[in-house]
Parts: sequence; structure tokens; C-alpha cells
Amino acid sequence: MTVLTKARPARPRAAAPTGAAARRRRRATPYLLLAPGALVLLLVVGYPLVRLVLISFQDYGLRTLFTGTAEWTGLDNYAKVLGSDEIVPMLLRTAALCVAMAGGTLAIGTAVALLMRALGPRMRTAVTLVLITAWAVPNVAATMLWTWLFQPTYGVVNWMLTRLRVFGDFGQYDWTAHTWSSLVLVWLLVVWQSVPFVALTLYAGLTQIPADYYEAAALDGAGAWRRFRVVTVPFLRSILLLVTVLSVVWDFNVFNQIWLLTHGGPDGATSTLVVWSFTRAFASQSYGQGAAIAVLATGLLMALTWYYVRRLVRTGEEL
Amino acid sequence: MHRRMAVLAASVALACTATACGSGGDDDGKAAAGGIAGPGSGTGKTITVWYMDGDLSDAAVKAIGDRFTKDTGAQVKVQIQEWDGINTKITTALAQHDPPDVIELGNTAVPLFAAAGGLADITAHGKELSRGQTWLPGLAGPATIDGKLYGAPLFAGERAVVYNKKIWAKAGITAPPATLAEFTADLDKIGKSEKGADFSPFYMPGQYWFGGVQFVWDAGGQIAEKKDGKWAGALSSPQAQKGLADWKRFQNTYSTPASRNLFNLAPDYNAILAQGKTSAILNTSVNAVLKIDPKLKDDLGTFPFPGASGNQPVFLGGSDLAVPAKSANRALALAYLKAATDPQVQTSAIVGLDGWTPISTELIDRTAATRTPLLKAFSDAAKRSVATPASPGWATIESDKSLQSFFGDISTGKTPIDAAAKAFDAHLTQALNAAP
Amino acid sequence: MKRSRPARIALNAAAAAFCAVWIFPVYWMVNSAFKPAGDMLTATPRFLPFPLTLGNFAGAVGKPHFPAYLANSLIVTGVVVAVAIAVAFLAAVALTRFTFPGRRGFLIGVLAVQMIPGPALLIPLFLSLKSLDLLDTLLGLIVTYTAFVLPLTIWVMRGFLHGVPKELEEAAMVDGAGQLTVMRTILLPLVTPGIIAASVFSFIVAWNDYLYAYVMMKDQSRYTLPVWLASFSTNLGTDYGGLIAGSTLFALPVVAFFMIIQRRLVAGMTAGAVKG
Repeated sequence: MTVLTKARPARPRAAAPTGAAARRRRRATPYLLLAPGALVLLLVVGYPLVRLVLISFQDYGLRTLFTGTAEWTGLDNYAKVLGSDEIVPMLLRTAALCVAMAGGTLAIGTAVALLMRALGPRMRTAVTLVLITAWAVPNVAATMLWTWLFQPTYGVVNWMLTRLRVFGDFGQYDWTAHTWSSLVLVWLLVVWQSVPFVALTLYAGLTQIPADYYEAAALDGAGAWRRFRVVTVPFLRSILLLVTVLSVVWDFNVFNQIWLLTHGGPDGATSTLVVWSFTRAFASQSYGQGAAIAVLATGLLMALTWYYVRRLVRTGEEL
Repeated sequence: MHRRMAVLAASVALACTATACGSGGDDDGKAAAGGIAGPGSGTGKTITVWYMDGDLSDAAVKAIGDRFTKDTGAQVKVQIQEWDGINTKITTALAQHDPPDVIELGNTAVPLFAAAGGLADITAHGKELSRGQTWLPGLAGPATIDGKLYGAPLFAGERAVVYNKKIWAKAGITAPPATLAEFTADLDKIGKSEKGADFSPFYMPGQYWFGGVQFVWDAGGQIAEKKDGKWAGALSSPQAQKGLADWKRFQNTYSTPASRNLFNLAPDYNAILAQGKTSAILNTSVNAVLKIDPKLKDDLGTFPFPGASGNQPVFLGGSDLAVPAKSANRALALAYLKAATDPQVQTSAIVGLDGWTPISTELIDRTAATRTPLLKAFSDAAKRSVATPASPGWATIESDKSLQSFFGDISTGKTPIDAAAKAFDAHLTQALNAAP
Repeated sequence: MKRSRPARIALNAAAAAFCAVWIFPVYWMVNSAFKPAGDMLTATPRFLPFPLTLGNFAGAVGKPHFPAYLANSLIVTGVVVAVAIAVAFLAAVALTRFTFPGRRGFLIGVLAVQMIPGPALLIPLFLSLKSLDLLDTLLGLIVTYTAFVLPLTIWVMRGFLHGVPKELEEAAMVDGAGQLTVMRTILLPLVTPGIIAASVFSFIVAWNDYLYAYVMMKDQSRYTLPVWLASFSTNLGTDYGGLIAGSTLFALPVVAFFMIIQRRLVAGMTAGAVKG
């Protein structure tokens, strides 16, 4: 403890070496702090990750799982996946759906977070509770609720749309039977489930901004939009970037909602890469091909988000 | 595999379980070397048995367990498994060195695990387990791969028409139809007598493939055929095409337009019948309807779905019991299978307690008198049952939901029948011939 | 900042509209949970659950193993949240207050973990836990969920630590406070909003997972509550009343957890700020 108490903040520019031992310890500190997390991640995710990549080069089926011996097939799985007729429309569909869902989530989430900051305490508590309650609904119940709300004959949403007398009779409308309506169905569910995390996290970030920054800006005669640009965005950049990247990543990999609502139908209209990976691995017991699709999907996602990931890693470093 | 080893003494069986036989590798015939555990041989031991949630009642499970304990002296630890993700659950369980000793598998799932080497080959004990009876082909068929037996039947469940007698009587119909022509004429009458946009004479959701395959079989078609050891999708055959056209006509005529792309679970077709929104559905029992509205007890009737001649062939649901290849207690596990297939247990527990259809034609005949009229339609329907292709790839067809979508697309008219059948045949051929 | 009256009304109206839309599915869930089976599906929706029944709830709670599953869920979730937050906080301090080789690599690697499609990891993870002999143990489940939530919690904490002005720490250091003291009394309280968001996230992940709990546990006595939710669906059909009532009960602890942690942490934050 004595050495630690003497140690000054361990940033290079502030560091003033007081001895070899202290320096060594200072160098070790970040690794010690990181060790528990790194250990768990390496053990539980790192090792399986290596296995996932290995499996993607093997003919890995149910028999392999039972006997433990797999045959190496080189790039066969990848060739099969990339050579499939489905791959191009599948990629486009996955990307478009991901952008639509992440965009919707972020737009609504940011708006709600800003709204919360502007509201009085009572209304803010109400919004917080609504968000947390929606977030708390388990996946299985959420998807079931969606089929209920939107089912023909008995769906409340269909009933209300009919009563609006704008769109015609929706009473017998089956959302899952048509391409666009099934996409809308999935989009609504995913956005409904994802907004709470985005809104609450962004709002938490907003509360960190000291009020005097706004007051100073207001004194300078800055309008609401300018205050948002000059104070809110820079302060929030790191968290905003983070929720953006996370939303894109999650929405790219949305699985349960699609599978339980539409099974990727009608006629493949809502089938994405992950759905494909799942059906290959778990319906066809071709874990090798499922793994290959997963590896490709991860690589693709990494490439697509690379720019933001880099910016995200850099945020705060200039401090 | 003609060695009859079942007479081996229990001591040998015990020695066997402790050594080689329990350690998998059933292709070399080593597995057949074990016997069925005899009286007292299991004292002090406990085997683990997995049942699926909702299939057998606790009382029926206990009856089988009591019989097993009486036979061997061993105890049973029963574990109930949930349906969601069950194939993954069983897959991982079979991949471990200490799997459960007996598992209940849906009959159509047996080929998958058997062909991949996860289940013990019990061919040598087949005769002792069946006791000379004829097991229902829908149960024994999928458990038999290349002439080898991998599971013993547990119970059968099949579909018959469940209808609301009051609505039918209102349309002037008092007796269940005997032929398809009578049936459709009745439904036409009901369609005229009942009004309401959401009312359907017969609620048959378009993705309900259990109903769809009946029409294919009734027209003489097949889902797939095995020729020279290779499967080929057979839905493009003229007979199957006719069946699919019949299905589409029936579905489109007697069910609601909203139901064309739905499965039976959402909305729940039992609720639709219970609320009088339809006069009939195709289901495995009346219990789910009565649970929603117990007052319908005296209003419900059942009859086998009429076909072109006689009843329509039905898809036989139900379960088999199988022994994981790596079970350490194979002799006792076999004894458990023997207890479950025992005619007395079948009569008192499977039929008497749970109202399921027993596993052999002999038992169906023998228990016919004890079955209530409501239950009789189901076992009558079972007599013309057809098994789904006994290929490990069949599990793919069920779990990737392609079969559901296939019938849905035909019902909605999204895809013309011949194009849909051709595309689906290709999928069937690919999936059914894939190595597990 | 004072706002004009019309602006306040407009804001409140927008908030009310948002609440109405977002709460509607939850309202429908609770509403349905109190309806008798026959009223669950009606062509004209019933917006109030009268005649009311508690039968769905009684049936759901009365299912076998409910208490055991609940206990398992509480243990697993509680440990996951505590461990994940502690571990992530330490890691985030390292990542924001120190420069060291491998830092960027670690950050990117952690984010990459989030990018792997969930279902793809199941079999490899099963094989790993099998090798580690952690199958069929609550510990295995705890470690798994912790690893699932760590990437997000680390990143969120890091984001919030960046927001903490460095001068605060430096001032404390000058006053002679040690690093641990600084972490505990200055950094920790200031990232409280981040802790709330991250711990609710962790809670929900650990509380809701079905597939891993189902596949990794073999003995029935070690299942968690989502398995109970799954038990309402059998091959004979789904007990919708039970499932919807069960889901309502299932969601309650999440809301309760949020309210408790919100109050506790906010109290702690003020105390910390005074101390600092």
C-alpha cells in the first residue's frame, strides 16, 4: 500500500519515475486490473472461438459430436456457402434490415433520452419505468405477444387499424404472409425491445454533463440546436458511438425474433445470415457449415463497422 | 445379428455393463452381447430416464417405473424435459460420457440420433420387447434404420376430426360422415347455416402439414421414396400433385382466408373451436379444447377424417424409448424398455390412464372395448397410419420449418403447386440423403 | 433551464405518447394474464380483464420445481451481476487511466466477441465447458453469462469513465489519497449511471437466457426460471394463460432490481460526491 499511495497517476505525461520497483509495479497495474476480465473472456469465449474457426474447416456433424473424430475438409464449407445462390440476396437483406433496425433504434432512443432530460421529474420517472418494463419482458413472451397483437381475426393491432378506417379492413390480415409486412413486424419488435437500452444508456450519459456547461452556452446566446451540437454531442460522443456500434452488431445478429415470428419466411423474405447459420447448424446438423457462415458473418460485420470501431477505440484517448 | 442373447444370465449382463458394452460403438455388434436385466439384478442401482413434458401423466410414468422396479429391483430417476430446443439438448446429452440411460424421443426424431451413432442398437432384443405383437409401423418404422432397431415404441397419438355437435345439429346433421363426399357436403351445409366473417366450417391452418400430408397419402402419393438406398422427394408425382390440389381446395374452401399461412398454434386452433368460430378441427385429442371451455364436454364429437376410400391415412405421432449408446446401464435400460412395452402396462397406463393409442395393432383391438367413443376415433384412425421417411434428414425437414412453409405457400397460392413441389423435392432429396 | 408553458405541454404530450405506445404490449400481457382461458382470444378486444381470474398465476406458480428454479436463477443472476460489474470496473479503469501495450487490441477483441452470432457459439462453448468439467454446474452457467456480458459492461464503463474529469482524481492524489481510495471514492460514484445501465443489462441477460441453461445443465434440479417458462409449451399445445401469467411474474424481478439499484446507487453517488 505504501508504494501505491506514493505513486502518482500512472499516465505517461504525468509520470515522474521514483524508482525501478515503482515503475515496474506501475507497468504491471493495468494488466492486474485487466486480468480477471481477460481470464474469463479467454476461457469462456476465446477458446470456443478457436474451436468455432476450427470446426468451420471440418466436416463436423452429429456423428462427429458423438465420436469426437472430425475430418478436415479445408475450405469446403466456405466454398459451399459462398457458392450458394442465396448468398447475395441474403447479404443484402441482412445489411438492409440491420441498418433499418439500428437506425430506428438509435433515432428513437436518442430522442427519448433527450426528452427525458427535458422532462420534469415525475414524467421522467414514468418514462424510465415504461422503458425498464418493456425491457424486462422476456424474449419468449415478447415474440408471443407480437404474434397475438398482430394475428388475423384476433389481433388488437389489426382491430385498431381497421377502426382507423384509413387502411381498410385489417381484421383478416396475416402479417407474416407478405414480404413487407413481415419485415415491418420484425422491425417493430426489435426496435421495441432495443430502444430501452439505448435510451437509458444515453440518458445516463446526459446526466453526466454538468449543467453549467449548458448555462455557459446559453449565456453565449447558443440556441437549443447549437447547445446540442456544442455541448451534448462532444460529451456524449464516446457513449453515442458505443451504442451505435452495439446496435449495429446486435441487429446484424438478430435471431430469436425472426425465427420465432416468421422462421425467415415468407419464402425467405426475412431470412438473414444468422438464420441461415442456425438452420445449417441446428436443423441440418451441419455444424461445419454453420460455423463457416458465422465466421464469415463476424468478419463481414468487423469490416463494416471497422471505421466506427477505430473511432470508438480512439475516443477519449486525446484526453 | 441373429444371435439370441436375451437368455444370457443376469450376471453376464452386469459384467457387461461394467465394461465394454456400455462404451458406445454399436456398429460392431458388440452391443448385442448384453442381455436384458433380470429379477433382482438391479438392486441398489438407479437409472435415469428422460421424458418429454406433457406426453405421459405422472401416474403413467410411475406405473412403468413400478413395473421396472418389480422386474429388476432397480430404482428410476425421472427427469422431464421441455420441447423448446430439445434436439440440441439431446444432441449434447448424447455427446457426454454419462448420458441418461433411457430417453423418450418423438418417433420422427429417432433416425437422426440413431444414424449418427448416438443410440444403442437393440435389434437383438426386438422380439423379446415386442412379445410377438405387430408394432404400429408409424412407431417402429422410424426406429428401424437399415434393418436395425434403435428404439421401442412407447405410445401413439394420431389425428382425427374433433367437431362441435351442436353446430352440426343446427345445420341438420346428426351423424358423422362416412365418406369424403358426405363430409364436404356436411361442411357446405354448415358454411351456409353459420354466418360471420371469421367463422369457418373446418379450421385447417394452411401450414398445418399434419393435415396436408394426409391428402397426399390419400391420393396415393408419397413424401419421398427410397430407391437403391437413395431417397428422392416424391411430391412431383401425379398422385402427390393431386393430393396437394385436393388439400388446397379443402383448405381454401372450408377454412378462413386468414388461416392460409398460419400454423395451428397462433391463434390456437383449440381456442377457435372452443369459441364456436369453427365447427371442426383436426387434432390428437379433445383435452386441449376442454381445458379452455370445460362446458363443451357433451358437445364434442370425434371421427376419423374420411378419405377417398375409407379413412384418410394419418400421420402417426407418438414416441419411442431409446437407449443412448454411452449409457452405463444398458441391461437395466433394456429392462425399462421391456417394462414400458409390457401389454399390461400399455393397457392400464398408456390406454387406461392417459387415453393414448397403444403400440400394437393387437393391443388396439384388445383395448377397443374399454375406450370411450371420443377416444375410439383416434385409435381407429391409427390403423391406417403412414410413417414419415426413416432418414436422419427428416429431422432437418421438420426443424427448418420448410415443410410448414411448403404447405403454407400452396395454400396461399404464393407458389403454383407443381413449382412448389419441384423445389421441395429438391430440398427433400438433399436433406434426406445427407449424412448425419 | 426554464421552458415556456407551451413547450412544456408539448414535451409532456410527446412523452405521454411514447409511453402509451411502448407500454401497450406490456399492458396487453398483464391484461391477458388475468383473463380466463375463454376470453384470451376475442374478435373484439377486451381492454379490461373482467371477469378476472387469478387461476393463470396460481397454475404457473404451482408448477413443479418452481421454487428450485427461482432459487437457481437468483443465485446465478446475482453472482453474474456482482462479478461482471466488479471485473468490468477494474478493466475499465485500466483501459482509461493507463496506456499500455495491447490496450487497443484488447478493446477491439472484446468488441469482436460481441459480433459472433449467438447460436453459432453454442456447440463450441458446450465442448469447452465439457473439457473444463463445468457442465451441469451453476458455476459453469455463471462463468458463461459473465463472459457474455463482460464486453458490453467493460465498454459502457469505459465510456462513462472517460466522462469523469481527470482533475478530480489529480486533486485527490495531491491530497495524498491512494489509487484504491481514488477508485473507490471518486471514480466509482461518478460512473454510477453507467453501472446502473450495465448491471440492468447483465441482469437481463443472465435472467432471460433459456438455451444455455437448458443445454448446459443436465440434472433437472439445476435448471433456471426460463426453463419453467418453456414448460408451458408442450407437443399438445401451449398453455397460453400460464405462459402469459408466468411471463408477467418473470418480468417483475427485473423491474424491482432496477428500482432498488437505482435508489441505492443514487444515494451512494451523492454520498461519494460529498466525500470526494
